[in-house]
Amino acid sequence: MRQVLGYTLMLLRAYTRDFTALFFGFFFPLIFMGLFGILNFGSFGHVAVGIVDEANNADSQAFRAGLGKIETLQLSSGTSDAELESLRKGDRDIVLVIPADFKITPARQGAVVPTLTLYANQGRGEQVAVGSAILTQVIDQMSFAITQTAPVVAMKREEVAGRNLKYVDFLTPGIVGMTIMLLGVSSVMFSFVVDRQRGVIRRIMATPISRRSYMAAHVLERLLLAVVQVLILLAVAVFAFKVSIVGSLGLLLAIAILGSVLFLCLGFAVTGFVTTENQAPAILQLVTLPQMFLSGVFFSRDAVPAFLKPVSDVLPLTFLNDALRQVSTAGAGIVDVGRDLIGIVVWSVITFVIAFRFFKLES
Amino acid sequence: MPPIVSVRELRKSYGQIAAVDGVSFDVAEREVFALLGPNGAGKTTTVEILEGLRQADSGTALVAGVDVRKDPSGVKERIGVQLQQSAFPENFLAKEIVDLFALFYGRRVDSLALLRAVGLEDKAKAKSEKLSGGQRQRLSIAVAMVNEPQVLFLDEPTTGLDPQGRRNLWELIRAIRERGTTVFLTTHYLDEAEVLCDRVAIMDNGRIIALDSPRALVTSLLGRGFSKPVQQQQANLEDVFLDLTGHALRED
Repeated sequence: MRQVLGYTLMLLRAYTRDFTALFFGFFFPLIFMGLFGILNFGSFGHVAVGIVDEANNADSQAFRAGLGKIETLQLSSGTSDAELESLRKGDRDIVLVIPADFKITPARQGAVVPTLTLYANQGRGEQVAVGSAILTQVIDQMSFAITQTAPVVAMKREEVAGRNLKYVDFLTPGIVGMTIMLLGVSSVMFSFVVDRQRGVIRRIMATPISRRSYMAAHVLERLLLAVVQVLILLAVAVFAFKVSIVGSLGLLLAIAILGSVLFLCLGFAVTGFVTTENQAPAILQLVTLPQMFLSGVFFSRDAVPAFLKPVSDVLPLTFLNDALRQVSTAGAGIVDVGRDLIGIVVWSVITFVIAFRFFKLES
Repeated sequence: MPPIVSVRELRKSYGQIAAVDGVSFDVAEREVFALLGPNGAGKTTTVEILEGLRQADSGTALVAGVDVRKDPSGVKERIGVQLQQSAFPENFLAKEIVDLFALFYGRRVDSLALLRAVGLEDKAKAKSEKLSGGQRQRLSIAVAMVNEPQVLFLDEPTTGLDPQGRRNLWELIRAIRERGTTVFLTTHYLDEAEVLCDRVAIMDNGRIIALDSPRALVTSLLGRGFSKPVQQQQANLEDVFLDLTGHALRED
């Protein structure tokens, strides 16, 4: 045990002198987060409008059908309470309440016109501006088509503070997952292929240290590195990008360690098939690149084409990212991410069996 | 005194090829013993079996009183090794390499003293991969001594070194023997075997074809009526080289 811990510490000290590894392991993911965080991709795509139809008559249905033709609007409908709750959670940009007396008829002098209420999400100024402009235009057109006059309905507006998910909030768990994957697979592959090829492992195996202790130190070192890396990423996210982590930090770290075990196993499994230093980068890309794009690192997996969906659904990083994201952005507990945890464990077992069968310390 | 290395009828085949084909010999304590032979003669395979790194197909080998087949890790505890084509992990300082290997033997050592013994004290804080070929060989001898071994195995220790580096290593090997360690080396430099070794075994095609002191081997050859066509010179080109460039070690 003293041997394992001592060796682990010495490996960590040597790691701090390896500038290439430090750059790719630590600064590279930060650069990614900075770049995507600043560019703030995915900030604008559509306006989520919740409709509360209290009239539910022919006119209101015609009005909703009119709105449905506009691509920019993503419509949903429900009760007033449910939609306003969604607005507060940040799932809606606008909630539009159609009053019970809603009708489109020529306005008569002195009569009260039906009033639509628009609840606007304060944190989504851009979406609200675009959405309310579209709504106003639709109302004007309908009014004009029927009555050839000015608006037959009025609209009042109320501001609601919602807990909005910013893009960096979404991005951060993805970057954490990606980093765990890259660190796990590449740290195993490069160092073991090189050490095997150069005869480093042969030399060490000529001493009495057991293979088990040797492997234990290398795995422990990498798990510690992963924890440090995740903490650094989260610290930068929280302090520099004002990311709010809703769920438990402890659960997040536990999931990160579990994910790290999975990707170390994957690293050892893949290294079993790599014999030379030159093959390593290509194999690394082959294993990690599809997961970078299909497992929801930078963008929601909704964007994955339908024919790739079945693949995307079962990739190792998908389970890790999903679990991290659920905890980080929605405050999920361990039970809520149970399905993802099972996915991670199943993948760990599969890759461990492959590693056990094919990974060799000596060529 | 019983021999410190005792080998009987050792055999090891790779497929159809018998790399080691019935080898038997003894090495006495405090001897410098060399296994000589052309590439592919089976030297390294023999040494690696004695080091506990490979399993023999048959035969017995006792090293420092331990049966290599039954207790390879017991043998590893008692010997020091320098392997052919091996390297140290990267990003470790020379001193840390010595400490690291001491840890593998479960020992604490005065790593600076070990580096001083091989003339590398001033390189203690250099990364091992930045050392020159000769310095690296000396570092690997310092590492091989961390467990105060009874037998030191050196597999082609001077291959790739310049003449100064070779001579320096010979001095080091003699000093190690003076301290009571048996040295078992392989080489294909015959002059090295001649000046360094008490006895040499010449190996070819997996078999030992001669085993004696260098002088006795030469005498027996002459006794069989051998004579060189040209009178041997009193100096050779290496002597000229060393005379011109000096014996002092070159750092890189």
